[in-house]
Order: sequence, then structure tokens, then C-alpha cells
Amino acid sequence: MKEIEAREQPSSAGAEQASDGAAPVSKAALGRAIVVTSGKGGVGKTTTTANLGTALADAGKRVAVVDADVGLRNLDVVLGLENRVHRHLLDVIEKQCVLDEALVRDRVRRTLFLLPAAQNREKDDVPEAAMAALVRTLQERFDFVLIDCPAGIEQGFRNAVIGAQEAIVVTTPEVSAVRDADRVIGLLPPEMSVSLIVNRVRPALVKKGTMMSVEDVNNILRLALIGVVPDEKEIIIATNRGTPVIDIDGSETGAAFRRIARRILGESVEIPTFAVNAGLMARIMSTLGIARS
Amino acid sequence: MLDFITKFFKREEASKTLAKERLRLVLMSDRVSLAPDVFDEMKGEMLSVIRRYLEIDERALDMHFENLERQFALLASIPVLKVKTAEEVAAASHHGTSRNGTSRNGAGHNGAPHNGAVADGIIENGIARTQPPRRRRRRKRAASPPLEEGAPPSQNDGTSPHDGTQGPSIEGP
Amino acid sequence: MNAKTFVITSGKGGVGKTTTTANVGCALAMLGHQVALVDADVGLRNLDLVLGLEKRIVYDLVDLIEDRCQPRQALIRDKRVDGLFLLPASQTKDKESVTEEQMRDVMRKLAAEFDVVLIDCPAGIEHGFRNAVAGADEAIVVTTPEVSAIRDADRILGMLGGRRARLIINRVRLEMVKTGDMLSVDDVKDILGREVIGVVPDDEEIIDTTNRGEPVVLDAGRRLARVYTAIARRVLGEDAPLPSLEDDGIWNRLRRLIGSKA
Repeated sequence: MKEIEAREQPSSAGAEQASDGAAPVSKAALGRAIVVTSGKGGVGKTTTTANLGTALADAGKRVAVVDADVGLRNLDVVLGLENRVHRHLLDVIEKQCVLDEALVRDRVRRTLFLLPAAQNREKDDVPEAAMAALVRTLQERFDFVLIDCPAGIEQGFRNAVIGAQEAIVVTTPEVSAVRDADRVIGLLPPEMSVSLIVNRVRPALVKKGTMMSVEDVNNILRLALIGVVPDEKEIIIATNRGTPVIDIDGSETGAAFRRIARRILGESVEIPTFAVNAGLMARIMSTLGIARS
Repeated sequence: MLDFITKFFKREEASKTLAKERLRLVLMSDRVSLAPDVFDEMKGEMLSVIRRYLEIDERALDMHFENLERQFALLASIPVLKVKTAEEVAAASHHGTSRNGTSRNGAGHNGAPHNGAVADGIIENGIARTQPPRRRRRRKRAASPPLEEGAPPSQNDGTSPHDGTQGPSIEGP
Repeated sequence: MNAKTFVITSGKGGVGKTTTTANVGCALAMLGHQVALVDADVGLRNLDLVLGLEKRIVYDLVDLIEDRCQPRQALIRDKRVDGLFLLPASQTKDKESVTEEQMRDVMRKLAAEFDVVLIDCPAGIEHGFRNAVAGADEAIVVTTPEVSAIRDADRILGMLGGRRARLIINRVRLEMVKTGDMLSVDDVKDILGREVIGVVPDDEEIIDTTNRGEPVVLDAGRRLARVYTAIARRVLGEDAPLPSLEDDGIWNRLRRLIGSKA
């Protein structure tokens, strides 16, 4: 089955086959290249990249998600594609293989492709110019190129940013994350259009005054807010399984990512205020260790 | 509440069990790709044992790790040119030949031209020591045709050129 | 004094290295030791913030390395805990401006003056990581019971150059472990194969205390204070028992739940 997967890659020239499940991308219209960054590690960049990519693919778009975290790759694992990774970004850049050999097609979404990072190399091994050229090539074949940026502000960050024209900064409502996001925003090219996702929001704690509100965060960062994602245990379950959280029924987090995808596509979707009290009965059940329905 | 009951009866696989299994596989894959020299040595040692009993076609040989859906495997395709007789096997072990894969007197055991690109088994002070294959061999592997099944060569293959070490060989002992 | 130096590392970002460094550091000082905490996250410093010392920074690690100040000028003395000092990172430089040799030098100087040195390592495996590890005798690897974190921890364990490495498992959610939705401590031990010196439950108190810049360990009454104190003892090699993850009991939880502002 694997070898069939390997051959069903997007054709490199011109319009795609109709059987590919997506409308052909005309050469004139370049896809959008968006880097998902944060500065602070662990705030949800990879989860965001995976889920937004999946949601955009569900909307019929051709999407390439690029793992720029050379050496500590995880986009493959979050998408549940780790067993299908054979080649990676550096192989393509160093011309050890062609792009099509490295792209891994998603099991479910036929227009979603992953370009994995190398696990046994370093971020310094990737020349910026080559990265920019690679992203450009992807833009010629995909409607969306989402680049999962590593934590930090060094070469890995620079490589992830270089090819992109847009940025999504992900933060959590927590002092260290906001501080790092602020730093990162200052390092992005001024011509780049930047939006903000506030992740891992816990409305109950915001209400209690223990956690900063989204307004608090954006008063500091002052960006176009593109999404608010609540914290949920479903994220952990999703990563355990290697499925995107948008596929988990009833997940508020999943629903939030779907709304963000719609906003990226230009729809005007209201950002909901999340219900603070999930109901006393549900909370008692979760206290007793009984899974919520 | 109903969900809890149905879950109990369905005995759906706990997500953490899946997680543990996936981690087991992905870590094997990561660890192999991160220590190519160690695994080259391992393969070298395995081949030197095989050579004691069989003459093999070194050039057509393929040995690599593969990440299959639920299994991580070391796959080897070792074309056999000749099965050594019991005397030949005994003679080789008895002499403690200094070089198993190639002989000092001209062509290699297997009749293939000595290209120097094989793992040598060296016995020093009575202790067998293998050297990892030299860099030249890796580039040959890259040019070789893909595996039978049509799948592209796995990046976990220790003999593939993009294993984290490029350029001229600087390996020490 | 000659200190043991520990690097607190993880590979994956956001698993709690800085929080761990701050709290274990405080706990060690509260146990009577002279402790230096070093923020090696040049460019994205946060240890100062978590400790609530951000307003008192005058000099930082890079100033010290480039000889613009003496060690005692760069080290910030914590006024709440006797014997606790912070060497902050620079916020304006980046990790590529410090070398491993320079780090080793600084750590040597600190080791001569303190009982314990904890180095807060940045995420990743590049310069920042290498610098942080260069100055350390031993490593403490922090992970959470999640796939990505464990994968990265495994990678890190392979990059510590033979240093002794022990684990802290952070953000454990007991309810999820019970329902099979989260890997257990034993699972993590099986997979990574190292000694576990601490298991820290997921607790919203951390968010609150980080916001305030008051390490949770300073409040002896808090559950997490007991956890971190036990870890501090284990860091030094004592055979302190790991406190049970079980809460004070279902009824207490329920009472708090019902009585809480809903």
C-alpha cells in the first residue's frame, strides 16, 4: 500500500488531475505562504498548523504543511503520518530526491500534504535562500503553504519565516508566552501581515482572575486577532491517536480551529465567548473520573 | 453518562495505548537515523559473520531499516553466489583471516572486483573488530535502483547518503 | 563550596523547564543550600519573570561573559529566600552570541561560590542547548506524558554526552491517566528508561503563581510545594519519597467544587 501512496503525488507541471480531488491550480495564482510562529515553545504551533491545514483541506483547498523544526520534528506525529515519512525537506534542498518523493499525503484528506523535517540534522544545515526557494515552489502548486516554525528566534526561526508572506503568531494567556510573542513580532519583516491566535484559554480561570483574558493579551501584542482556542483534554487524546482534534466530535478546540480556517479564507466569523460553566453535573462527573459525554 | 457506559462495553482502545505503541515505533526510527555509524557497524559485523558461510554479491546487497505501519524491521536482501563447504568454513575460522570480505591476494573471495567498499572484519589480538563501510559505498547505494516493492529507499537506511554526514569521510576508528 | 551543576532540559518547549528550575531552586535554598539559577535562554529569557525578579535586572549573562561586570553584580539576590541567586539571560542578544567555552567558564566560577547551580536550558537542540549543557555535570530532563514531549526527550537523552540524566514528569493529569487518555508514569519510565525523580501534577496554581512571580514552593501549604521539595531532595541524591498524586480525596474536591465561584 505504501508504494501506491508514494506514486500518488501531485504532478509537477501545470494543472492537476481532476481525480486528485482538487481544482487545478493555475500557474498565475500563487498560493499563500503562512508561517505559524510563537517564540515560546509548547504553545501550540504544531497543533495549530496541523489542524488549520486539515480544516483548509476540508474546505477543498490544496494544502502543504511544512515542518521546519529540523531535529525535533513533530508535525508528522501530530498528523499521525510518522510511519510514512521517508524523505524530508533537507533531502529536497540537497537534491537527494525530488519534492514529490518527500511529500507525504494525508490518509484522509487527499489534498493535504506534509513536507517533513529531517530528524537527524540541524537547523543550521538549511540555507535560508534554499528554504525560500522551496516555499516558493510549494506556493506554485498549493493554495496554502503552512510552515510550522520551531521555538526560538535563531536560525530555525529565520528559515521558517524567510519564505512566508503572512504570519500567525500563537500565544497562550500566560506571561512568558506573551513576552516571547512580543519579541518575535518585533523580528518579523515589517511588510508581513501578522495575525494572532490565543491558544489554551481556560474561561473559568479567566473569570476567576487567575488567567489573563484575550483582551489583556492583545492589549499588549496589538495584532489582528484571528482566533481564540480553548484548552481541552481532547488535544492530548488527539495527539495520542495521531488524529487532528477537529475530527473529535464535540471538541470545542476543534470547532475553534475550523472557525479560524474560515476566517483565513476570508469569511467573517464571530469569535465566541466560551461558556464558563459546563454544568455542575458534568463537572461532578469529571471529578469522579467519569469521562464527559 | 451514556457515553461512559457504551465506552465500557465497547472496550475501545484507550488512546494512551495507541500513543505508547506509536512512540515505540517512532523512537526506534528516530534512534536509528540518529546513529548511522553505530548501525553501520552492526551491519558490518553481521555481514562478516554471513561471509564466513556464504559468498555474497556485495554490490547487490541491501540492508536497511524500514518503518512499516505497525512494525519496525531490519530488512536484508543478500544475494548468495556460493554456499561454502564445511571445509571452507572451518578453514576460514581456523586461520582467523585478517580480512574476511576481501583477500590480500588479489580479487575478493566472491570474485567480484575488489572495490574496497566493503565492511572489513579485522581480527586483532584475537578479537574481531569490524570497520564501518567507507563513504564511497554510500554514494553507490544512492544510485542503485529502488527496492523491489517500488517503495523509495527508506531514509533510515544507514547506507543512504543523507544520513547526517555529508562530504569527505572523516571517520576515525 | 564546589557545586554540582545541573542543566534542566527537555527538547520540547513549554513542558515546564523554567517553572521547574525556579521551584526546585527555591526549594533547595529553603533547605539551606546556596543556590545559583542560570537562565541560559539568551534572547527569550523567562526565569526572571517566573521568579518575579524581572525588575531588578541590571547586568546579565552576556555582560558577565564579556567582562562588563563582576559576578556579584550580575547575580540577583532573591530577598524572599536566603541563599537564592539568579543570573539572568540577556534579552537583546541571541544564543549564537555565547560559546560553550564561555559558558563552562562562567559555570566554573559559579560552582566555586555555590552549593548547587541549576541551568535553565532553552528549547531545541542547537547553540542554546549546547551552551546550557556545556557547563553542566548532570542533566534533569523534564517531560510531559505526551507523545511529542516524550519523543523530544528521547532525542535529548541521546545528546547529553554521557552525563547522568534523570527525569521529571510534569503536568500529569491523574483523571486522564485513569481513563487511559494519558500515558502513566510507568509508561514514560518504560519508554525513556531513566530514573524518575519527580512527578508533578497538572495544577492551575502554576498559572497563578507565574503571573505573580511567586514560585509556588514559597507557600509551604500548597500541594505543589511538597512535590517540589521532594524533588529538590532527590536532586541532591536523597531518597525522598515521591508524594502521592492522589488529591486530598474526592469529597474535599467536591466540596471545593461546589463551594467555588462557578
